[in-house]
Parts: sequence; C-alpha cells; structure tokens
Amino acid sequence: MGLNFIGLVAAASTFFGVWFGHVCVRKIESRAKTIWIPTLLFAAAGAILAWISLVTSQLWLSTATGILGFTLLWDALEVTRQQNRVKHGHAAANPANPRHARLLGEYPAATTLNLLEREPLGRPVSPAQAAALVRQRRP
Amino acid sequence: MNFFGILLGLATLFIIGLGFVWVIRGERYFGYLWWPYVMASGVVLIGWSLFIANPWASALLGALGASLLWGSTELKEQAIRAELGWYPFHVRKIRPPFAATITKWRAPHL
Repeated sequence: MGLNFIGLVAAASTFFGVWFGHVCVRKIESRAKTIWIPTLLFAAAGAILAWISLVTSQLWLSTATGILGFTLLWDALEVTRQQNRVKHGHAAANPANPRHARLLGEYPAATTLNLLEREPLGRPVSPAQAAALVRQRRP
Repeated sequence: MNFFGILLGLATLFIIGLGFVWVIRGERYFGYLWWPYVMASGVVLIGWSLFIANPWASALLGALGASLLWGSTELKEQAIRAELGWYPFHVRKIRPPFAATITKWRAPHL
C-alpha cells in the first residue's frame, strides 16, 4: 500500500496557516501604521489562494491553497481583533508605532507589557502582580 | 472547477475554530500540563493520515492533527490568561499521568 501525502499537506498547511495567523499577524499589526492596508493585503492574498484551489486540477495544490486561502481570509479579520487586544491590554502595545501610542493614551488598560510572557503559577494573579511578574523576567 | 480545496479550507477553519474551544475548556478543567499528550495525539493523527487512501479522510485527519499540535503549544498561554482573569479560572484540575515529571519540562510556545 502506498502512502497518501494529502493528509501531510493538509497538516502542514493548517499548522503554517495558524502559525502565520497567530505570530505574524501580531507582529504586522504591531508595526503597521494603519490596519486597513494589512487587512486588505490578507484578504486579497486569501482570495487569490482560494481561487487557485478552485482552478487547479492537482489535489495537493488545491489542498494547500484552499486551507491557506481561508486562514488568510480569517487573518484579515484578525488584524482588527489584534488591535482590540492591544486596547484591552491583552497584547503588548508598541509605543514606537504612532497608532499604538495613541491607543496607550486613549485606553487605560493598554500596556507595553506582554502579560503572557511568564510561566503559569496555578493561581489567580492580580493585574499589579501580573505586571510585576513580567518585569522580573526582563533583563 | 475543483471544489476539494475550498471545501477543505472551510472544514479546516471549523476545525481551527473548535481548537479555540477545546484549548479554553481543556485548560480550565484539565490544566496545561496535558500538553505532551495533546502533542503526541496530533503527531499520531498526522502519521495515521498517511495510511488512509481516501483523500477527504486523510486531509481532515491531517488538519485535525495539526490543530492538536498547535493547541498543545497554546495551553500554557491559556493557563496564564485564566490566571489573569481573562477567562474563568478553575482551581481543581484533573492532572495528567506523570504530572510531576511534566512540570519540570518547559511547556512549548510559538
């Protein structure tokens, strides 16, 4: 019996798609001066990949572009969701970015600290403790 | 027109969406120390997909395996989010086998 690599292609596309959406969208949103440009680029790239998946006759290419296309379309929405996380202090603001600097002034919960940058303690932590724990880890 | 990729993309989006749910619920009641078991399950599913001839079954199993693999790296951050009060924190968690050993390992995060 021969091996079927479609599952592996689907797995790699899914993992890379989620990684890109999770890690790269954060970095791009943190640096972008306006969010509509990355949103538009993600939507366009997603639509192009989805179209390729429709017109190709190769199963592996249809698999990869179909999955990556839809994850990129979702990433277009994630850019706005990431900005909302920054507003609520759930993601670190970049003070060097004028858009984030404005958010830091407008939203009291916004912070330059990444409050997730530590090990779990196994108990609830107050906002002040959370900030102190993250500061302790910084060199 | 080849609708395989489009339909698979939609199904994968649903699998990824489910990933958010089980990571949140799983961490709440079981804790992040289950990550090696979740990671191993993901690897097993991806490996299993190689031996399935049906393209739909193979692709869906691969996507599900990748979602588990990703979820295993997300459990630690979810534990911190719950500690911060961004999600409900549940004190009594069902600990995994060999929890004492797993505690000594650095939980992965991407």
